[in-house]
Amino acid sequence: MVNVLPPVTALLPVLLLGVTGLALLLVDTVSPDARSNTSMAVVSALGALASLAATVWFVVSGTGSVDTGGAITLFADAIEVDTMALFFTAIFASVTSLVVVAAHDYFHDHANPAAFYSLLMFAATGMALLAVANSLAVVFVALEMVSLPSYVLVAFLKQNRGSVEAGLKYFLVGALSSAIFLFGISLVYAATGSLLFGDVAEAVGSIDSLAGVTGIGIVMIVGGVAFKTASVPFHFWAPEAYEGAPAPASAFLSSASKAAGFVVAFQLFTEAFPVGASLAADINWVFAFGILAAVTMTLGNFAAAVQEEVKRMLAYSSIGHAGYALIGVAALSQDGGANGAVMGAAMAHLLVYGFMNTGAFLFVAMAERWGVGRTFEDYAGLARRAPVASTAMAVFMFSLAGLPPFAGFFSKYFLFMGAIDNGFLWLAGVGAVNSVVSLYYYSRVVKALFLDDPATPSALDALDVRPTALYAAVVFAAVATVLLLPGFGPVIETAQAAASALF
Amino acid sequence: MVPVEWYLLLAAGVFCIGLFGVLTRRNALYFLMSVELMMNAANINFVAFALYYGDLTGQVFSLFVIALAAAEVAIGIGIILVMYRNFGVTDVTVPTEMRW
Repeated sequence: MVNVLPPVTALLPVLLLGVTGLALLLVDTVSPDARSNTSMAVVSALGALASLAATVWFVVSGTGSVDTGGAITLFADAIEVDTMALFFTAIFASVTSLVVVAAHDYFHDHANPAAFYSLLMFAATGMALLAVANSLAVVFVALEMVSLPSYVLVAFLKQNRGSVEAGLKYFLVGALSSAIFLFGISLVYAATGSLLFGDVAEAVGSIDSLAGVTGIGIVMIVGGVAFKTASVPFHFWAPEAYEGAPAPASAFLSSASKAAGFVVAFQLFTEAFPVGASLAADINWVFAFGILAAVTMTLGNFAAAVQEEVKRMLAYSSIGHAGYALIGVAALSQDGGANGAVMGAAMAHLLVYGFMNTGAFLFVAMAERWGVGRTFEDYAGLARRAPVASTAMAVFMFSLAGLPPFAGFFSKYFLFMGAIDNGFLWLAGVGAVNSVVSLYYYSRVVKALFLDDPATPSALDALDVRPTALYAAVVFAAVATVLLLPGFGPVIETAQAAASALF
Repeated sequence: MVPVEWYLLLAAGVFCIGLFGVLTRRNALYFLMSVELMMNAANINFVAFALYYGDLTGQVFSLFVIALAAAEVAIGIGIILVMYRNFGVTDVTVPTEMRW
């Protein structure tokens, strides 16, 4: 079956997300009933699920994979649909559908939730566009399409000083890093004369006089990627933004937006700046990523261990996980046989992370909806009144920590094994030590939920509120985290095949 | 014709002025102007090297960048406005509800 459909249909998942965003604006115009956001939640959930279904269908039928004639390119090669892009689009669509369902309860009394839903869908469209980008110009436009709605999502509670401050800090760091990223692109264009990944790679391989300019450009591009993935040195915004933002927005940013940063990194550093060509031009970005990965995971995990608030702990833990996923680019080598394996494992980790981390933040959203406090002590004894949700949270915590029977263990295991196979034993070692540290603070949450007594007997009365949609989203995320355990085989195979196609 | 290397130097200079402004100014509006300078430094590179390579990609992309920069300023002004309503200042160092 070779291309029975016109090539532009390969963009169906992206288009579905974008059209849903526009449809939401239409729904809001037709029925601006501010008090009920049910129609918004239904339309956006249907759109996100349709996009997910289209993505899964494409992956299963092999669209853009090596077996069916390779990646599909569109618009004079500026867009390229391959299996890696579809894999990441599946992550974005799943996280988006969980978040829109949860937002239904979270914004139950908000004056104008329509803006939240449409901004969320436009940000998701930008992410899906990032995944299919094959030109630095498309990368920058799509990156801004993710960033601009994200700033607003964080500052969405405009009467809430924490949310506004978080939005401001996110915007300041974001605007600065996107300017740096853009200047990096301009230097690469200056040195290579093209913005298309393939042409850039060719020019980098045979560069002579302007190797220094290219090097500085690549360093600046690494900076932009570090911002999007919340890695050192542009991680400062993450704890503030995730803590201050409405919890569904934190869930969206820390799972989907982070994965979007990684898809850029994976595509750029295999197709535009391949390891071999870069080393030939004396540009050793592998080493830079190695240092960044080690520092990021260490900083994230140790800072998470000393937090008193659950949401802020999750924010630092998400920095730590960015460090693990960075191993996917940091452990590449020129002729490494495990290049595809380690990058594929990082992709699988981001998929598992998409469910477990979104679920954890949505549990925090539920706690905010109940009105219990934000610290570990405030969570004491919640399992007595909300056993299902607390069990789901325990699943997320153990899976994030990477304990053996959960999906988080397998993705980390494949990641570290891939790094070792490629000769990066030290990175795997740092990762393993950090996983042990992370077990401490993740189990603190479980201990508070199940073992500790509530401070006052009346502290649990707030739990009489039953946010059904939030419950459903949390439980569904937990089910997905558990189901990824038997389903991990096909996931890792797809991911590693998709990554191997790029080398 | 001016040698193309001079444009690189000009762009780097403009970029550094913008970066200096970002790092030293505490007023959010100055921050926006400085970021604008940094983006325009990139535009100088794009336009200069589009001419050098005889290739229109850079020129077209610089138009995209101008549009995106305008969008970014619009969002930024919106956020600065809600900051002013909540905190009564445009100094970015004042909002410290959360510890760093």
